[in-house]
Amino acid sequence: MRDQSILLTGATGAVGGDLLRKLAVRKGLRINALVRRSDRDPHERVKAILGELDVTAKLNVLEGDIGVGSSLGLDDATLASVRRETTHIIHAAGSTSFTLPLAAARAANVAGSRNVLDFARGCASLECGAFLSTVYVSGKRRGVFAESEYGDEGHGFVNSYEQSKAEMEEIVRAAMGELPLILVRLSTVVGDSTTGRVSGFNTIHHAIRLLYNGLAPMIPGDPAEPVDIVSSDFVAAATLHLVENAPRPGVFHLAAGRESSSSLEELIGETVSSLSRFRPAWRKRAVERPLIVDLDTYELFVRSVEETGNEVLKGATRAIRTFAYQLAHPKVFATNQAATVLAESGIAPQRSSDFYPRVVKYCLESNWGTRPC
Amino acid sequence: MRAQSTAGIHSIAEYLPPRVASVRELHDRGLLRGSPETLTSFGFDTVHLAGEETNIDMAIAAAERVLEESDVDRNDIGMILYAAALSSSSTLWDGNGGSPHGSVLQLDSVPDLFKYPASVLQTELGLPNAPVVGINQLGCASIFAALRMARALIVAEGELRAVLCVSSDKFPAGRHRDLAYNLVSDGACATIVRRGDRINRIVECTQITKGALWDSEAIENEIIAAYFPTATALIERTLAKAGLEMDDISLVIPHNVSLRSWEILGRLIKCPPERIYTENIARVGHTIASDNLLNLRRATEAGMIEKGDYLLLFTFGYGSNWACMIVQH
Ligand SMILES: NC(=O)c1ccc[n+]([C@@H]2O[C@H](COP(=O)([O-])OP(=O)(O)OC[C@H]3O[C@@H](n4cnc5c(N)ncnc54)[C@H](OP(=O)(O)O)[C@@H]3O)[C@@H](O)[C@H]2O)c1
Repeated sequence: MRDQSILLTGATGAVGGDLLRKLAVRKGLRINALVRRSDRDPHERVKAILGELDVTAKLNVLEGDIGVGSSLGLDDATLASVRRETTHIIHAAGSTSFTLPLAAARAANVAGSRNVLDFARGCASLECGAFLSTVYVSGKRRGVFAESEYGDEGHGFVNSYEQSKAEMEEIVRAAMGELPLILVRLSTVVGDSTTGRVSGFNTIHHAIRLLYNGLAPMIPGDPAEPVDIVSSDFVAAATLHLVENAPRPGVFHLAAGRESSSSLEELIGETVSSLSRFRPAWRKRAVERPLIVDLDTYELFVRSVEETGNEVLKGATRAIRTFAYQLAHPKVFATNQAATVLAESGIAPQRSSDFYPRVVKYCLESNWGTRPC
Repeated sequence: MRAQSTAGIHSIAEYLPPRVASVRELHDRGLLRGSPETLTSFGFDTVHLAGEETNIDMAIAAAERVLEESDVDRNDIGMILYAAALSSSSTLWDGNGGSPHGSVLQLDSVPDLFKYPASVLQTELGLPNAPVVGINQLGCASIFAALRMARALIVAEGELRAVLCVSSDKFPAGRHRDLAYNLVSDGACATIVRRGDRINRIVECTQITKGALWDSEAIENEIIAAYFPTATALIERTLAKAGLEMDDISLVIPHNVSLRSWEILGRLIKCPPERIYTENIARVGHTIASDNLLNLRRATEAGMIEKGDYLLLFTFGYGSNWACMIVQH
């Protein structure tokens, strides 16, 4: 991407922040980082993400909003100049909340992406527009989900997030004939494979915390089915490689696949053994492993907790529920297309059991992001 | 002749106070912390409330009855194990702040600290040959510990022919009767564990104590969350120790906690609802430590158990303790 200009949306997000850090150390690259307009100083926010990094790219922080139309909230002059120079777009902005009402999820992920597409239509030099999506656009499907497939195939979605991302893909897919676009579907990003550092705490980390606190009695799912998680360094490196090298249009899964994934039972075991290893005092609490149960049993438990009105247990079961229903619809994400493009780069997903314990350790040491470490 | 080293639950009797109160009445009298609708939805209907009777009165009544009904010679009772779930049941407190026998929970009254209900029980029952041991600090699992020890003592001591196990608990008057979404009843039960008895032969006894979960008030949520996985693990372990599978169990004899919790636990241990004897949850409620024996007696009387059937008894007691037992009828 040397001598090229990239527009990065969602630069303050978990994935966008990781991408920004990688891009910022490239020489000659021009980065327009779109930061959502708020009462916080966008430059300070970006500075906080870059930390001590030796920035060699030409970084331009833009305040904007993907929700306000194809201008992305930029003034006319800025809009015109960014459109003129942009050769690549990585659209990493959106809502990743699993609990938004569908209309709000659509506003963030569908309407926002439509605006970015409209913006892209005005970029004469555009070489690649990468839209970040999720492998869970597959919804409640089971079995193998190929990169060539789209959506839930009528099986429904677990939450509004999945549905809005699937709808987002439809509009991107429709624009693939006219624009050089790729969809990069990410699996669940848990943390850095070397340091365990977590850029964005999500439901997996929340579930680890509930287990740590002895508040996760059961999880729906199949003990033998894989739980697909990926490292943030793999996602950042692979996304940038795809943006530069992938054939377009195209759809790519950045997922661990069956070979690199632990089964649900193994993952729970790895969680328990990591908590015991990195916080030996925790063993004294004798927390039992959560049971892996069928969906009906889990639903009965959730319903019972709801009936009790117990706020702590309600919060715990709801938190698990938002993603755990995915575990009850096990699937494997095929990665053939991504693997083909990534083959010569040496970028590949690490075995989750190799790095996941470091993520658990980071969760403990940072007290789930509330303590510097 | 070598003494037989098996023991069985020979006979069981209970005492339930005649006074019965419905969920609605308890609610109206301010004796519920949570919602009556939830308790009803969880399978509770009525409970027994002790009036004048103290926990020792209830213990004596249940024990007298079991001695009367069984063919065991009183002279053969070689030990009394008095199981107390509530700490107050290890005293002679009457549930209202006083005591007809002179011991209440006065930690600064030294003479009172040495007045024990088990001794009163022994003399009232006229069993001078039966030394007493008190078993407590296991909440509702205390009677399981008594049965386990009775069996172990019979196996270990060749001369011991029969052990009387008694449990009796009375809630303090005027206090909320719902605990962790369960409804508490007052009551007592007594049983004779006899050497060589083939009826209700005790096959396996197990227990898990999670001392970290001792503070039932401060970490109630953690205890509730720990309940199902620990119960499942213990039941599976007990079956494995006995060389049995869930399919070999003809009937699960539960403690009378919420029907809903048994629906969930039944699924977890792969036991269909018709093989869990839950009839008394609605009409008796949770008598703290007496549920399982009371249920075993009633299921037997109802003709639900046949000779040779394997039965699985399970309970949970604060502390936190999970206890399981397999008996062969
Ligand atoms: N993290 C994962 O595990 C994962 C897994 C699968 C797919 N993905 C996909 O990866 C992408 C990034 O996810 P993430 O985890 O990085 O999400 P995130 O941490 O929630 O970040 C979302 C980013 O979008 C920005 N944003 C939201 N609304 C905006 C608006 N109206 N205008 C401008 N910016 C806006 C946010 O800005 P503020 O900082 O101001 O809120 C933030 O920078 C998403 O497409 C997501 O679906 C992520």
